Amino acid sequence: MSAPRPYPGDVAPDRVDEEFWEGCRQGRYLLFRCTTCDHAVWPAGGCPRHGLAPMVWKEATGQGRLHSWTVVHQRYANSFADPPPNVAVVELDEGPLVHSTVLGAARLELGMRLEVFFEDIGQGVVLPVFRPTAQEGESTGPG
Amino acid sequence: MSDAGATIVGLGLSPQGRRLGFSSRELRRQAIDAALNDAGLRREQIDTCICFGAMPEDLRYAGLSPRMSFALSSGGASPALSVVVAAGLLATGQAEYVLSVYGEAFTGDAPKLEPNHGGAGRSDIGGYSYGYPYLYGLVGPGAVYALAARRYLDRFGASSEDLAAVAVVERDHGSVRPGAIGYGQPITVAEHQASRMIVDPLRLLDCSRPTDGGAAIVLTSAARAADCAGSPVEVLGAGCGHNITNWWDGTMVSRFGAAPDAARRAFGEAGVGPEDMSSAQLYAPFTIATLLQLEEYGFCGEGEAPAFVAEGHTAAGGSLPTNTGGGQLSGFYATGFTPLSEGILQVRGQAPTNQVPDAELCLVSGSGGNGGVHGSWAHVSLVLGRPR
Repeated sequence: MSAPRPYPGDVAPDRVDEEFWEGCRQGRYLLFRCTTCDHAVWPAGGCPRHGLAPMVWKEATGQGRLHSWTVVHQRYANSFADPPPNVAVVELDEGPLVHSTVLGAARLELGMRLEVFFEDIGQGVVLPVFRPTAQEGESTGPG
Repeated sequence: MSDAGATIVGLGLSPQGRRLGFSSRELRRQAIDAALNDAGLRREQIDTCICFGAMPEDLRYAGLSPRMSFALSSGGASPALSVVVAAGLLATGQAEYVLSVYGEAFTGDAPKLEPNHGGAGRSDIGGYSYGYPYLYGLVGPGAVYALAARRYLDRFGASSEDLAAVAVVERDHGSVRPGAIGYGQPITVAEHQASRMIVDPLRLLDCSRPTDGGAAIVLTSAARAADCAGSPVEVLGAGCGHNITNWWDGTMVSRFGAAPDAARRAFGEAGVGPEDMSSAQLYAPFTIATLLQLEEYGFCGEGEAPAFVAEGHTAAGGSLPTNTGGGQLSGFYATGFTPLSEGILQVRGQAPTNQVPDAELCLVSGSGGNGGVHGSWAHVSLVLGRPR
């Protein structure tokens, strides 16, 4: 992609997330989880009951459902040559809501099952993005 | 309310509009002088100044001599939050006369956003980014409202036409208000549907746009208010909420922030309910925000806001005229001062147009600040009324 686009260090230069981005480079999808109650968050942050101290990165399923989506048509910024295909909010099976993009879907329906895969955007950055799960079809529950 | 109860005794508005040609500081100065004049107070009586953002030159420029001056930084919630803070300062005796002032000249020198990597130090994400979601292109003030709109439309089987109905009502209000940016410009649902997509599903006519303008209020205790010249408006109830609650419980895309905390507390303090409100002045820079708040404040049930609007409740002459000055969509965008100033005018009976008869009680909301990945706005609710 030749158009300028932001990289993780531009938008949230937060060293506590470095392990997550390293996981993406290795094809592993991690969530920050509380070792006391297993509460999962992303990006790194404190558990609402136990704080930051007991949190560790753990491998997650990378599975979830489409919670909402939009397409930013307005050129608010100079990054991205064209409107990005969509911005999706995915409700992961572990609980957190995460922003991403859904690729490879003929149409977007809230509640549709999604799975993570990884897209190399250059400069050593690998982004997690989502696609409909292979089994996606007859039985999508409500969002 | 006790003698210490916070009372708004002065309101000052500069001209509001596109490309007025005044600096931000000058717009604030005009608003300050108008508010002092309205309250019948001398400028040296102001002992506390609340501003938004850093305005180090303002006190000198406006000739003010407070013993306390500070900035609140909670985005569009800041003006209503300043009322809450002022109430505390007045109740504890730390302040006697509090000035809260805003003023921005957005359209004179619109910031040119630049790509945000490659050095040079400037970023195109500024205050309108949400952190990591910008990796996927989520940027701009309407983006998180769009996510809320998509989910709302899907959950309740509502449509873009339901959003259009909100825009039509608000443009109707603005179209008759001299000085409003939408003055003389009512719109139809068809025009809304034909307007270009900004942030799907929000179209151009779902969106407000920045305007230049200054706004200021002066607050004092109920006891001192009796000695002021202006028409006093009492803060009968106030409540704060924060969308971080909705982040933790997974409702951040489904709620606007009035629920579960702010609305309940504000109505509770005032000892009234949503059915007692004469009008509502809502912080709503995008149509979806009106629908969400009508429900969160209990004016109608969940999923019922489109019907509530379609039945004419929010229009002039309805049971709950809403954003009667045109709101942020077609009145002017002075952040949280748009709804707050209109609420004050309604309770005073001084609204230039769309004055609600016997408008004794008005709900005012404010929302904004602290975006981030969790879109965690603060929300402030005020119940304003005539002194009891």
